[in-house]
Amino acid sequence: MFAFRLILASLRGLQTNLMRSLLATLGVIIGVCAVVSAMSILAGAEREIGKRFESMGADQIMIVSGSSGRGHRQARVNALTPEDADTIRDQCPLIRNTAAEFTSAAQIKYLQRNTNAAVLATTDAYKKINDYDVAFGRFISREDNRAARKVCVLGHKIANKLFGEVTPIGFRVKIKGQGFTVIGVMEKKGFLGFREVDSQVMVPLETGMKRLFGVRFVTMITAQATGQEKLEAAIQQVKRTLRGEHKIRAGTDDDFSIFTQEQAKERVADVTKIFEVVLYSIAGISLLVGGIGIMNIMLVSVTERTREIGVRIAVGARRIDIAAQFLIEAAVISMIGGVLGVVVGVAFADLLEKITRVLKTFTPPSAIVYALVMAGCVGIVSGLYPALRASRLNPVEALRYE
Amino acid sequence: MLISVRQLARVYQMGEHVVRALAGVDLDIQAGEFISIVGASGSGKSTLMHLLGCLDRATSGTYELDGRPVMAMSDRELALVRNKHIGFVFQTFNLINRTSALDNVGIPLFYGRQARVREKAMASLERVGLANRYKHKPSEMSGGERQRVAIARAIVNNPTVIFADEPTGNLDTRTGEQILEIFHDLHQSGVTIVMVTHEMSVAAQARRLVHMTDGLIDADREVTTELRRELVQAGVLGATRVQNEQHLETEGTPS
Ligand SMILES: Nc1ncnc2c1ncn2[C@@H]1O[C@H](COP(=O)(O)OP(=O)(O)OP(=O)(O)O)[C@@H](O)[C@H]1O
Ligand SMILES: [Mg+2]
Repeated sequence: MFAFRLILASLRGLQTNLMRSLLATLGVIIGVCAVVSAMSILAGAEREIGKRFESMGADQIMIVSGSSGRGHRQARVNALTPEDADTIRDQCPLIRNTAAEFTSAAQIKYLQRNTNAAVLATTDAYKKINDYDVAFGRFISREDNRAARKVCVLGHKIANKLFGEVTPIGFRVKIKGQGFTVIGVMEKKGFLGFREVDSQVMVPLETGMKRLFGVRFVTMITAQATGQEKLEAAIQQVKRTLRGEHKIRAGTDDDFSIFTQEQAKERVADVTKIFEVVLYSIAGISLLVGGIGIMNIMLVSVTERTREIGVRIAVGARRIDIAAQFLIEAAVISMIGGVLGVVVGVAFADLLEKITRVLKTFTPPSAIVYALVMAGCVGIVSGLYPALRASRLNPVEALRYE
Repeated sequence: MLISVRQLARVYQMGEHVVRALAGVDLDIQAGEFISIVGASGSGKSTLMHLLGCLDRATSGTYELDGRPVMAMSDRELALVRNKHIGFVFQTFNLINRTSALDNVGIPLFYGRQARVREKAMASLERVGLANRYKHKPSEMSGGERQRVAIARAIVNNPTVIFADEPTGNLDTRTGEQILEIFHDLHQSGVTIVMVTHEMSVAAQARRLVHMTDGLIDADREVTTELRRELVQAGVLGATRVQNEQHLETEGTPS
């Protein structure tokens, strides 16, 4: 009850110098705002990235061209061929299936409507590995690939964009000026890994490589292991097979790199850690500055109210009562700064999301609690010295103070 | 005996300089007395008030308040004594300007951890005739009204003794009279009053007059009709009050 009244009294004390107190708390506002907005961005990014990883599949092994070794750069950056994918599938017992893919972008056109789209050239295995199927029509078949047929499967969004409500099976579209027959439309999926698949166009691997883009190498091979627990062994098998296939001598680096969902997650987590450390340092510094600001304003307040303190002691306030009053006042100022910081921080994160349109932010409740607790602690710590000074005043001198 | 002081001294050390603000005072005050302290500026009146009011600690001597040795009390006990048994009234009112009269009066109740603060503070304001102004801030009041609020604050915990250091010093004569009326009423109801003043006309309204010089009490006498007459003759006191109080005893105790 007494504590409650003390808080009320502190609040009333603040009213008179509201503007000044708010200015004093600017450091805390900025600090808390930085923490909250950065935490929102980080948490949002982590959540988005997490979603992507989930869609990647934990039993997948991604193989791309080029060495990951830090030493001398590999001469053959483009090293993976469609045949490598077959070899891996046939020779590695721990690999159930593989899908090679080549990705690029091209203009796609239907009548007067045309748009720029990501083109994915791949094989029938793509559908199975990624658990991603058609909504209408059929997916690319082995036959389509062998004969390098000019057929395509449209992602959910691009089908809509070009054809609207009409089911486009059997219609002809132009990709890079060449005629293609639409054989299927994919189901709605969103993201597969980091690729937004609803807006992509899929063509048979052979067709894409030979007829559309004229390349000999694939961008990536996705291999599906027979089980998640055998992933490490499967990777070793793939490595051995590919090194043999590419005739790489012992002691030299691979001309390809392998990564898994788990590894990618770890790498992102590492980056996030660095961000977090930087973030907490910034927050720490601004809160320190905020604390100094509050200590300063509290010292001013103690000096200004010397007489008042004398009166309070004269009518029976204990030293601890005086200290508590100023301590609570400092904490309240800081908490107000904290609340304002949270509001500004959330608003700022929101604004960033709206402006950039790619950043997804999310303010975890723990961030708000953490920020407010921090602000309160800063207030109490920085109020300690002024409160102590107030409580140690000699009442007779305080009453005489002009 | 309410207050019993022996050889009370308060010495300030100013570098090499030693200021004996109070140089060994003996004083007894009984419950229910109304006593004035007069003396030249710097004679130690305020210093004595602060010591008697448990706001300051004496350098040496003994002080018993209601039979309890004050010198041995802890800060916490002194705070409790100030809160429960003592009321202060200052020359400059010393109200907190940003809060209302009611809030000002409630402060001692607040530190006394008391319930029904509003109610009690209101009753106290009523005793000084300012109940209707409870919402007003000190800055919205006249000097006399402020001092009445200060008195309301001093009496809100029903103290045994009130220490008033030049309570009329900042007020004109008429307003000062009103304040003194309140003190008389309080005295009538049994409160002990110790008042410092510069004006003899004010001092003479008490029943006992103490005179200080250089940190010592050099005169302590009852305010008798005879004394009043002397004062009138000396030209420091108007005649009306003396006639009104003919019933007072005629014995003086010059020292
Ligand atoms: N904190 C202090 N440090 C040093 N000397 C002090 C201090 N406080 C009071 N004194 C000295 O003690 C003496 C008595 O002071 P005090 O205030 O008690 O006088 P007073 O009788 O109340 O005077 P006035 O009528 O002007 O209020 C003075 O000489 C003063 O200078
Ligand atoms: Mg004085």
